[in-house]
Amino acid sequence: MFKSLNIWFISSLLVSISVLIPIVTVFYSFFEDTSNYFTILKETFLLEYIFNSLVLLISVLVLTFIIGTLSAYLVSFYKFPYSNFFKWALILSFAVPPYIYAYSLTAFFENYGTLYSILKNLFGPGNYNQHIPKFDGLFGAVLSLSFSLFAYVYILTRASFLYQSQNLIDLGRSLGFSKFKSLYSLILPAARPAIVAGLSLVAMETLAEFGAVDFFSINTLTTGIYNSWIAFDDLAFSNRLSFFLLIFIFAFFILENLSRKRAKYHSNTKGGFKQKEKIQLSGIKAFNAFFVCFIIFFLSFLFPLSQMLYWTVKFPENFFDLQVVTLTLNTVYLVFLSSIVLIIFSLISNYGNRVSKNKALNILSTLSISGYAIPGVILALAFITFIAWFDENIVQALGFLSIKKMFIGSILGLVIVYFVRFYSLAFNGIKSGYEKINISVDESSYLLGYSKQKTFTNIHVPYLRNSLLFVLILISLEIIRELPITLILRPFNFETFATTAYISASEDLLEAAAVPSLFLILIATTFIMLTSNYILRENE
Amino acid sequence: MSKNFLEIKNVDFAIGGKTKVKNASFGIENEGETLCILGPSGIGKTTILRTIAGLETIDKGTIQLKGKILSSKKENIEPEHRNISLAFQDNSLFPHYTVEKNILIGADKNKEKKKKKLNFKEIIKLLDISKILNQYPHEISAGEAQRASLARSLLTQPDLLLLDEPLSNVDQSFKEEIQVRLKKILSRLKITTIIVTHDSYEAFYLGNKCAIILDSQVKQFDDPYNVYHFPNSVEVVNFLNRGILIPAKVTGENSLENKDLGTIKGNFIKHYPKGSDVQLLLQPEDLEHDDRSNLKLEVVDRKFRGTNFIYTLKTNSDLLIPVFVHSHHVHQHEVDEKFGIKRPINIDHIVCF
Repeated sequence: MFKSLNIWFISSLLVSISVLIPIVTVFYSFFEDTSNYFTILKETFLLEYIFNSLVLLISVLVLTFIIGTLSAYLVSFYKFPYSNFFKWALILSFAVPPYIYAYSLTAFFENYGTLYSILKNLFGPGNYNQHIPKFDGLFGAVLSLSFSLFAYVYILTRASFLYQSQNLIDLGRSLGFSKFKSLYSLILPAARPAIVAGLSLVAMETLAEFGAVDFFSINTLTTGIYNSWIAFDDLAFSNRLSFFLLIFIFAFFILENLSRKRAKYHSNTKGGFKQKEKIQLSGIKAFNAFFVCFIIFFLSFLFPLSQMLYWTVKFPENFFDLQVVTLTLNTVYLVFLSSIVLIIFSLISNYGNRVSKNKALNILSTLSISGYAIPGVILALAFITFIAWFDENIVQALGFLSIKKMFIGSILGLVIVYFVRFYSLAFNGIKSGYEKINISVDESSYLLGYSKQKTFTNIHVPYLRNSLLFVLILISLEIIRELPITLILRPFNFETFATTAYISASEDLLEAAAVPSLFLILIATTFIMLTSNYILRENE
Repeated sequence: MSKNFLEIKNVDFAIGGKTKVKNASFGIENEGETLCILGPSGIGKTTILRTIAGLETIDKGTIQLKGKILSSKKENIEPEHRNISLAFQDNSLFPHYTVEKNILIGADKNKEKKKKKLNFKEIIKLLDISKILNQYPHEISAGEAQRASLARSLLTQPDLLLLDEPLSNVDQSFKEEIQVRLKKILSRLKITTIIVTHDSYEAFYLGNKCAIILDSQVKQFDDPYNVYHFPNSVEVVNFLNRGILIPAKVTGENSLENKDLGTIKGNFIKHYPKGSDVQLLLQPEDLEHDDRSNLKLEVVDRKFRGTNFIYTLKTNSDLLIPVFVHSHHVHQHEVDEKFGIKRPINIDHIVCF
């Protein structure tokens, strides 16, 4: 044990522990006293919070499963007009966060909204409002989340379909299965781990979602946590609610793991893999496949984009009112700082794990990446709780000046919580790069006289540069879209495109929310296009 | 202080908490000599190399190089400070560098030591890898990767070079040529080397000494001639698979009697009392073919090995005995035919157990 105590082990240990602090804080807070609000809430809204969260979760999971697997199946197994275009176009929905989708949905279908204007222009004035369906409330939130998040299921399922051997398809044929029977009895079960992994991500994002559910005024656990902090100023109570949400998330994971049991989904036999050939569709079948993909692409990306574009053009004054340069600089500043911190510490932590080969450290690292599963609202509040406790019980008790302002409402605090939230992205991204480096490469390096530090800087870092670039873009994408952490912890008067859009929308100024939303979509789209090959695993 | 260049004394070699070779003692007497380690797969040969390189630690015994302790229970010099080079069996080239850059990293280390006995061009030519210099490790074959790795290790001109199955992936047609070139360069540069191999011929050709690892211990440590001709245990005989053991009775100072082959004469390397029942080692070159002999055995198999045939003959007691015959011998014997053995049978040295 002590033989592995070196600078890399200690650094890695410190990184893992610091990431774990907010998570531990949430659990610890459960045993603290709260105000009477908890008793009141327990008797009034708590059940509603849990019920709404459950309904939202199940509905979004069902819808994303259908949209994600159907689109992945079509583009992976068939050739039809523009199938290659849809292959990557379908991931563009990532550029539209659920809250922006919610704004678009409302803007289009609201009374005297965009749809009304279209109908009026086409057919003249009329009483269209009473015939236009309203997509708000829980249903609106389900749609917003599903079209924004289905790409998780699409990407992972498609990757799994891509590596399914032709032998599997041939087996179905030789058994006389129809295409549909092959799909549900062979193809989907073989892709189950990927589908479940995709749905797990969707579940975490749904439970963590703040912007869209807040916009539609739905009481879920996440909005409850935020409101109890804002309205009741009761951090301990927020943390207690967070505890319930975490239990929810962990139960989901345990269920998922138990359901897999000992099933083995991947065959590692060498040489048995036969790249499958896509089936060329023609006539009505080709049209149907094209139509399904187009509708998904349209609803998930073109619809919110055009709605935001339409409003930006219709109300150009909002464009001139927006401080685009400042917002861009603020976003770039946050992205730059957070990426640097995340990449450096994730690199150190990964390398520490690699060289120390310590099981305890490995377990700790695995736990520390659970930050991604924890909603941003919880992390931000847990951070505030921890800093307040630390400031009161340690810093001020020792006679030092308060450090609260240094961490709360500051860029430093923001970067730290981003770090906890997105640490798993950076850690896993770099880890997957590291897994491709055989351990004998390190050993050769030592034997050639390179120290551990030199091996890290001269051998690993240059080799990992592609992974690092991928991680950088992924983190940037997340930070650009991130809302609750930024909202809670940002310094006074410091805005990003996401917070500007949120603030306008919460003041019922949806037209004003359009311009920052449009910028956000365009920047995120650029980042996605830059990494589409990585995301789709085209280069592996 | 040890007199040997490399001294391994009472070491337990272990990996992942599991002891592979117990209480091993062997060494290399003089700088520039080559030691070959032979043994079946999984016995711990690679563990020995990894431990000497410093990639594994030891809890018992000592490893000394040039009189300096590298490893013991209390001391452990880090691999990067040992000046020992290890060429792994599998591709351990840096994946993001070309073959040339990979090899030049070895030269960089060499430069630091200001040794200029071997240059890059020479080693490239020697190992015939000039055509792959601009390629990346994933673009070359396993054999080419092994040669590139060997080149990198040689260029570092270490105090001790460790080669783990260095030619296992090299084409058979090219292997012997590389062996010859490798032997020349090691001898010219006086690079002290330990080679792990499962190919006994490779070990006998390259090694000044051989260590046979069997049953978690060093069974025999000797020069190649002795290992082949004077194996010290039945296990070594079985491992080398270069002969068979047949039952015999000691009949005199220089003779034994086997009930199928009759009298066998020769010099005992170890004394056995008259009347002792022993197991006699009979190697393929010990028996001579003679069509006129009245000692006839049945041919059950015939293997063509280029310069000779190996006939497998069955005795009346159903023993299967291998016999070499030059392939230019005037005629060949088919399976089921009778095959004459020259009598009296004379063996230069008699090895019994």
